[in-house]
Amino acid sequence: MAKTGWDEFEIGAMLRTFDGKIDDIAGTLQEDRAYSQNSSFSASVADWRIEKPIFSKDFCIDCQFCWIYCPDISIISRDKKMIGIDMDHCKGCGICVEVCPTNPKSLLMFPEQADEESELAKWPAKESKEK
Amino acid sequence: MSEMKKIKNLKDFSTSADRFEGANLLCPGCAHSIIVREVLNATNDDLVLSASTGCLEVCTAVYPYTSWDASWIHIGFENGSTAVAGAEAMYNALKTKGRLKQPDRNPKFVSFAGDGASYDIGFQWISGCMERGHNMMHVVLDNEVYANTGGQRSSSTPIGSSTTTAPAGRISYGEKKNKKDMVSIMASHGIPYAAQVAPNKWKDMVKKIQHGMAVEGPVFINAVSPCTTEWKFDPKDTMHITDLATDSLVFPLYEIIDGHELNITYRPKNVIPVEEYMAAQGRFKHLFKDEYKYLIKEWQDRVDEKWAQLNRREEARV
Repeated sequence: MAKTGWDEFEIGAMLRTFDGKIDDIAGTLQEDRAYSQNSSFSASVADWRIEKPIFSKDFCIDCQFCWIYCPDISIISRDKKMIGIDMDHCKGCGICVEVCPTNPKSLLMFPEQADEESELAKWPAKESKEK
Repeated sequence: MSEMKKIKNLKDFSTSADRFEGANLLCPGCAHSIIVREVLNATNDDLVLSASTGCLEVCTAVYPYTSWDASWIHIGFENGSTAVAGAEAMYNALKTKGRLKQPDRNPKFVSFAGDGASYDIGFQWISGCMERGHNMMHVVLDNEVYANTGGQRSSSTPIGSSTTTAPAGRISYGEKKNKKDMVSIMASHGIPYAAQVAPNKWKDMVKKIQHGMAVEGPVFINAVSPCTTEWKFDPKDTMHITDLATDSLVFPLYEIIDGHELNITYRPKNVIPVEEYMAAQGRFKHLFKDEYKYLIKEWQDRVDEKWAQLNRREEARV
């Protein structure tokens, strides 16, 4: 469907969150939902970010702290595993990095223009605890 | 009665399908959406929601977008709770008449409001809902200030906090009145459940929300929601500030059942001084000047006294 601007809708138009019918929203994961262009899911706030989080799978223990404390539903967890970050909706607040309990952290903030692969290659090593 | 969603641990919880969407316009690091997610994910039942005017409402329903995947209504600043109460009354009427299309579905009625819309402007309306005994839940996202309109004081703003209508300066230390004890006021209506929650203690929160949804009758929930813009801290520190708030006992977590049975649900292992909580936020910065240091001590005394009072109430069951 072509994108309609805010001033192009008819007066009294009815805007729906989904295209088609969903009976059980609480049991339908986001990738199985047919979002219409009127759900904010189809919008993006990626341009709000100055820094972006990068996720390194190697040290992740799937504690899901990042999932529960993410204010923007940007941590994608499926089957109790953290699988990635939704970069369309992440505002780059950095809460996920703060709450990550692993050593070294599985999530770190980098400038928006940083290259993911090269940053993953030089991920910090485990820090020894100071006595 | 539909079955309660089983949430044993965070991994179980993370299989929930969110009904609140990203790309809302809340500030980065806003605790509002963390609280809303925890509330909505606590149940699998259908939801009838409302939001009173406030950050949550203006940021999640920006024409032509909506961030809600459930029935949601906004009317005015004061009447989010009555809108949901009305929907609940209509649902019950249709149910008795047998005119519901899907009578086996068991929707939950929840209204969200900020502290301005609950402590000040919507107070009378909420009180009405609690008194009439609707089967609904009212969740306050308590950020202690009118954050949406630029940080004016509300009756939830604590002493010493600098706000735009009670600014700290040469002759004033900011807000001079203490915070209203809303949970006690609401519990005094004799409602079946009133509780104070914090988003960092997610398990405690989910337990209270599920209990609140299971009981018949009105439920009042007060959730602390640190505001990165008005409390003046870095967006990444939201959870840290919430930890400080619960561990310094500025926001004690407790529940009041049937208006008299008080249970303290979280006792911090190491109680930290209130000074640490205040030092982390820009709105209390001026209190660390020599002439206002006595206010911090007063704060500590007040928090200690409140904690002792809660403990006494828990013991005495009154």
